[in-house]
Formats: sequence, C-alpha cells, structure tokens
Amino acid sequence: MKLLNSTARASSAVLAGALLLGSLTACGGGSGQAAAKVDTSTLTLAIDSDSASFGFDPLRVSAAQRQFFEGLYESLMTLQADGSAGPGLAKEFSYNADNTVLTLTLKDDVTFTDGSKLDAELVKANLDRRSDPALSAYSAVAKGGAQEITSVDVVSPTQVALTFAKPQPGFEKNLASTTGMIVGKNGVTDSASLAATPAGSGPYILDPATVKGNKYVLVKNDKSPEAPKYAFDKVIFSVVLDPQARANALVSGQADVAMLTSNTVDFAKSKGVGVSQIGGTVNTMVSFDKIGKTAPAFAEEKVRQAFQYAINRQALVDALHKGDIPAWNALPKDSAGFTKELETKFAYNPDKAKALLAEAGYPDGFEFTIVAGAQTQTDLQAVQKDLAAVGITMNIKMAASTDEAFAAVATTPLGYAPLSWDNPVGFMYGAVLNGFTNVQKATDEQLSAATGELAAAKDDAAVKAAATKLNTRLVESGWMIPLYEALVNQGYNTKKVAPVEFAGTNAYPLLSSYKPAS
Amino acid sequence: MEVTMALFITKRLLMALATVLVVAVLAFMLVHAMPGSPGAVSLGAGATPEAIDEVNHRLGWNDPLVVQFFSWLGAAVQGDFGISLIDGRSVSADLAGRLPVTASLAAGATLLSAVLGIALGVTAAVRGGMVDRIIGGVCGMAVALPAFWIGIIFVYFLAVQSPVFPATGYVPFEVSPQDWALSLALPVITLAVGGAAFIARQTRASMLEALQQEHIRTLRATATPTWKILYVHALRYASLPIVAGIALQFIQLFGGSVIAEQLFAMPGLGQAVQTSVSTHDAPSVQGVVVIATVVVVAVNLVLELATKFLDPKLRAS
Repeated sequence: MKLLNSTARASSAVLAGALLLGSLTACGGGSGQAAAKVDTSTLTLAIDSDSASFGFDPLRVSAAQRQFFEGLYESLMTLQADGSAGPGLAKEFSYNADNTVLTLTLKDDVTFTDGSKLDAELVKANLDRRSDPALSAYSAVAKGGAQEITSVDVVSPTQVALTFAKPQPGFEKNLASTTGMIVGKNGVTDSASLAATPAGSGPYILDPATVKGNKYVLVKNDKSPEAPKYAFDKVIFSVVLDPQARANALVSGQADVAMLTSNTVDFAKSKGVGVSQIGGTVNTMVSFDKIGKTAPAFAEEKVRQAFQYAINRQALVDALHKGDIPAWNALPKDSAGFTKELETKFAYNPDKAKALLAEAGYPDGFEFTIVAGAQTQTDLQAVQKDLAAVGITMNIKMAASTDEAFAAVATTPLGYAPLSWDNPVGFMYGAVLNGFTNVQKATDEQLSAATGELAAAKDDAAVKAAATKLNTRLVESGWMIPLYEALVNQGYNTKKVAPVEFAGTNAYPLLSSYKPAS
Repeated sequence: MEVTMALFITKRLLMALATVLVVAVLAFMLVHAMPGSPGAVSLGAGATPEAIDEVNHRLGWNDPLVVQFFSWLGAAVQGDFGISLIDGRSVSADLAGRLPVTASLAAGATLLSAVLGIALGVTAAVRGGMVDRIIGGVCGMAVALPAFWIGIIFVYFLAVQSPVFPATGYVPFEVSPQDWALSLALPVITLAVGGAAFIARQTRASMLEALQQEHIRTLRATATPTWKILYVHALRYASLPIVAGIALQFIQLFGGSVIAEQLFAMPGLGQAVQTSVSTHDAPSVQGVVVIATVVVVAVNLVLELATKFLDPKLRAS
C-alpha cells in the first residue's frame, strides 16, 4: 500500500536534507569562544548559587557571597590582592594597648544609593544590628560569638570605636568581608526594603534587567569614586546551578568567567579556556563526640584512628571528586602546617583499622548513625562501604530539616563538613576546642598546647612548627578525619579576560581583580 | 443541545474548581507538616525562641489552621500568594515572572512533539515495513533516553562544538523575539524528543485502525487526494487518543520542566519549586503548587471539551 504521493515524498526529502545539514553543522567542530566577539564593556560570570537568595542585605550572607556584594556595597576595610586588609570605608584604624578596642577613621565623602551619607552614627547603626540572628555576617561578633563586640561607640562624626569582649588583634581583616559591609540609612532603618532594593555605596548599582535567582545585572555607579577601579562597565552574575551547564556556558562564549567543579576542568581546558585554581577547603569528617556520650566506641582514640586507616580516600576522589586532592592532612596543602608524613602514616590500610578496633575492644566492630544532607549523601555512602569492610556499621540518616542537621553535633558521634582553615587559631578556639564541634566538651592537651603555640608564634619557622604539630595531632587524635581537599576553579575566556587571580588564599577572587585580556 | 453542552461545561468547571481547592488544602496541610516554622525558616538556626515566636505571631502561624487557611485562600483568589519567607518578595510577582518561561517551554515542546510525533506516526502507519520498524525502534530509544542526557548531547553539539544556539539562559520575548526563540530552541528540543516518540506511537496505532475503516476505503476508491485522505479524514478519525496524548504530554512537560530549567539555567517554575522546597519557603511552595494545579486542571478541561467536540457520539450524549 503506497499512500505517499510525490509531493509528500519531496517534502520528506527536504526535511531529511535539513536534518542532515543540521547534523553536519553540529559536527563541524570549532570553539564558540573563538567565534565570540570580544566585548570589554560587559563581564558575565557564571556562578554556582543564587547570589542574593536572601535579597540584597549583605549582612544576611557569608564570605562566599562577598564577590557579588562587593559590587553593591563597600566594606569598612578592603581585601587586598595579597589577602591582607587595606583601607576601605575606614581610611585608617588603630588598636588600644591591649587590643580590646579598635578605632576606625571613616572617609567623609561617601554617598549611598538611598541618598544617605557615611558617618560614625551610620556605622554604629549597622553594627548594632549584630544581635539580629538573621544576619549571618555578624554571627561571630554578636553576643557569645567567637569575636564578640560588646559595644560600638561614636567617638566623632568620622570616628567609631569597637570594643571587644576579649583581645582581638587582626580583627580588621573581618571588616574586609561581608561583616564590614555598610548599608545605607534607609536600609538599616527598614531592613525589609533590602529584600528587593540594595542600599550601598559600591562601584555598581543593580540594573532593572536583573531576574531574581537567575541573572543579576550590575552597572557602574557614576557617583562612586571607587568605580574607576573596576574594569568592566557592566557585570552580569548568571546563576547556573548545573556544573556541566556552567562549563558549557563558558566554552560556548556565553560566560566570560565560570566557577568550575574539578570534574569539568579537563573539558573546559580542552576547549581552550584558561583555569585558575586554589585549594583551601578540606572536606572532613569531624568527631563530634570524643567522650562516648552518643556512641561509647568514639571515646577510644584507637577507634577514631581506625577511621583514618579504613577510608580509601583515593578511591573516593577517583569516583566522586575527579580533579580534587585526597587529604590525609586536616590543614590544606598550601598551609604552613601541611606535612607529607601523614599521607604515608595513615595510608589506606583496612587490616590496621581492624587491628586497632580489636585493640580498643571492638573486634566485631560497632554501629552508629550519621546525619547527612543532600550534598554529603553520596560521599557518606562511599565511606559507609569502606567502614563496613572493617566491621563498622554507619547508618546514614538524611536530615529532615536544617534544625536536625545542626542538632546532630549533640546527638551523633560523627559529622561531615567542608572546613576552611583561613584562620587556624580562630577556628580551633571558635569551633574545635570550644565551639560547635565540641558540645560534649572533650579536652586534648596536645591540641590546646599546639593552638596556643600557633597563636603565640612570631616568625614563619615558629608558625610552621606549631601548625604542623597542630595538624598532626588533629589527625592522630581522630578529632578530624580528612577526606579530600576541594579545589576552587575559575575558568575564564582567555581572549576576553586576563588570568584570574585570587586574593591571597581567599577562594573568591575580588570583583575588582577581573581585568580584560591585554 | 446547547443546554446539554452548557450543563456539561458548568459541571466540569465546578469539578475543576473542587480539584484546585482540594490540592490547595493538601498543599497547605503538607506545608504545615514540614518541620520548622516560618519564624525558624526566616530567622535561621541561630534565632532565639522569642524572636521565632514573634515572627510566627506576626505571620499568624499560631492561629487555628482553619483561620490560617481561609485567610490564605481569600488572598490567593485575589492573586496574592503572600510574601516569601526567604527574601520578603511577593510570591505572586515572582511566579508571574516565572510562569511565561515554563509555559513557553512546555507549549513549545508540546507543539514540536505533536508535529514530529504525528508526522512520524502517520508515516509509520502508512508506509509500514522497514520504515515502520525504523521509526518504531527510534521512538523506543527516544522514550527510554533521559531528557537530561539528551539535553547534554544537544548542548555539546549545537552550542559547544558549533555555536548555533545558546548553551544556557532565557531571553524574554519582549526583549527580543529572535533571542527568545533561540534561547528556547535547545530546551524545547530536549523536552520534545521523548514526547514526540510517545505521540508517534499513539498516532501510529490510531492511524492503523483508522485506515481500516470503510469510509477511508471508499475515499480511496473515489480518487480523493492521498494527503486529504490521510491528514483530514483518517487523522480526524484517529485524533481522539492523539489529542489526549498531546494534552498529557503538555501536563508532563509542564511538571517536568525542572530538568530543562536546571540544565539550561532558565528562571521558570521548576527552578522556583526546587529552591523554595529546599529553603522551606512555605508561601512560595504553596503558590507554585496551586499555579501548577490550575494549569493542569485547565488543560484537562480543554481536553475534555476538545474530546467532546471531536467525537460526535460524545457530543450527542
């Protein structure tokens, strides 16, 4: 039965021809980047999360969003290219003799987009919001925080004094991040307005072309004296959650810079884009319970050490985090305390793990539960298999809420988190020895001593010696069970953007550091 | 006849309204069953119980459930779905911006899958033999392949290797109709592949049955042009299950657009629901659920009316 007439056949042939042509075009090769027209007026950054999921209040976010908010707001101090803190809205600063009072001298020519002017009253009004629990940027300086500010006092219209609960030398570096960002008067008075409208004095202002959660468009703020330091007239933060899609956007020329996951770096490089990398974040299992309150076995150091031997870190990285670095050190590769010795000392050895369990009185292993989030589930499933091989049964319970995830520090013996060691002493005192990872209040004299030594170290050699001691003890004690160090990768279109540089060890480049390719 | 039709439409409208109401109640109850409260969500983990209670009180969270529901419903029927707990913006305004994205995706993918699916299904049924087997095999594979994987392949060839289409992003129609079409091309094709295969199978089966009918044989005997026999008479006879299949595809694509929205970074409802569920943003979740339900119910209603129109027997009943 032939029901197709000649017209229908001709149409089919045209359709087939079009499809063939399309497929040939598809196989033609060539890079989108090469074909893209260089445009130095706009910089498009493909980023991995919504920069303003909480609106445009910079105090509701943490350091990870600094780069975006740097466009809209200025900080009291400014992060410098070498990672140190330099002048910002505060042109000078000084400490009193015992480092309990920090006095800032403010610029006097700063205007905010809401029309307000910078003065000491405004800085005080900003910092006096520190008791608001919604303001994540202030969590460390609020009452009970690791770097608590007890009072903020106006000394003169251009001078403000911050008084701390205990000595805080070097506190100025905190003011170079979102903690130090200053919101205009309208924003402070009516913080709800910041949900949709920023009130900053930064080099850029929000353009109406912004689509919440998808694309944030910043254009130059003509009233900002800082604006000329920023090379691009317009900056677009394009939210692309899928890692492969981000890499695709970069290599096809839709984005000029993209945050890449390690497993898309090779693909991106193969298409001719540049990639700048920095380490610093160690994904670590953390022993919450070192006294055996929630799981008796965890009171034994040998049990915690058995975890170090039981986990096949290389296999974990090969399977789930291609391109990242397996970690046997608690501290990152580029830190002063990093030591190769730990890599051989705690190399994968399930027999040794079993032997240690037996010595600790658990020859048949034991069982415990860990609370996981969506981000950590697959890693924990990989670790679960390794632990099962030495007799340890780790049940994985998915957290039903953020509250449950936070509460796990008190109810379960082990957790898992990415840890950044930008400030080892602060993190040890604030989180490890006294803070949220030690709610059972365990003590370890060696850890306390090493932290004290590091805090007191005066030169590089002393820092290295103390940090190495601290790092080694963190691993030997099993307080930290490092798994892998994640690299932060910034891919960039080499034809449009100069190689991306990081500010010291900070994982997020300064917005001002992006320059056009010469 | 008109009275019967009017009664039919009225009944269906009432049922549609009842369905939306039931879903709204369920969404409301589920949101209340979620752990945490609006105060805890908006203030974060470090908030004091007093601060959380103050926010909950302000939002009416401590009122009886019935009071809360009717208060929410009263505002919702006026198009006000409340304020997001996370960023304090109007949920309705957010959804109004996102609905066109998802609707464009779903409508475009449905249209493409209908055109391709019907063409392939008719060809398979008419040509038979090897052509039928090839189309059947291709459709089998297309149905089985995950949309996410198909999308990655299309992006690789049509955006990365050859920059024919953009790899990510969405351009609103009012900004540039041409860029709007280009930005939709790959996600629409990605979503349409599986749908076209499904409709092709449906069309093939219906067309095979239609071609056996007495009146089609008569038309052939009277030298009626082939295209007219196929695409007017036979296809109309076969159209009921095909129309139902297309409507089902639209509903499925509307709900399943989250895959394309994530892969192509498009600001649609799928992206919104993903974000609002993960952040426990109750008003946003409720808003998306209700909007999606209204769309699905409306499409079903149109389908029923179309079915009634297409089938003389149903029309007379």
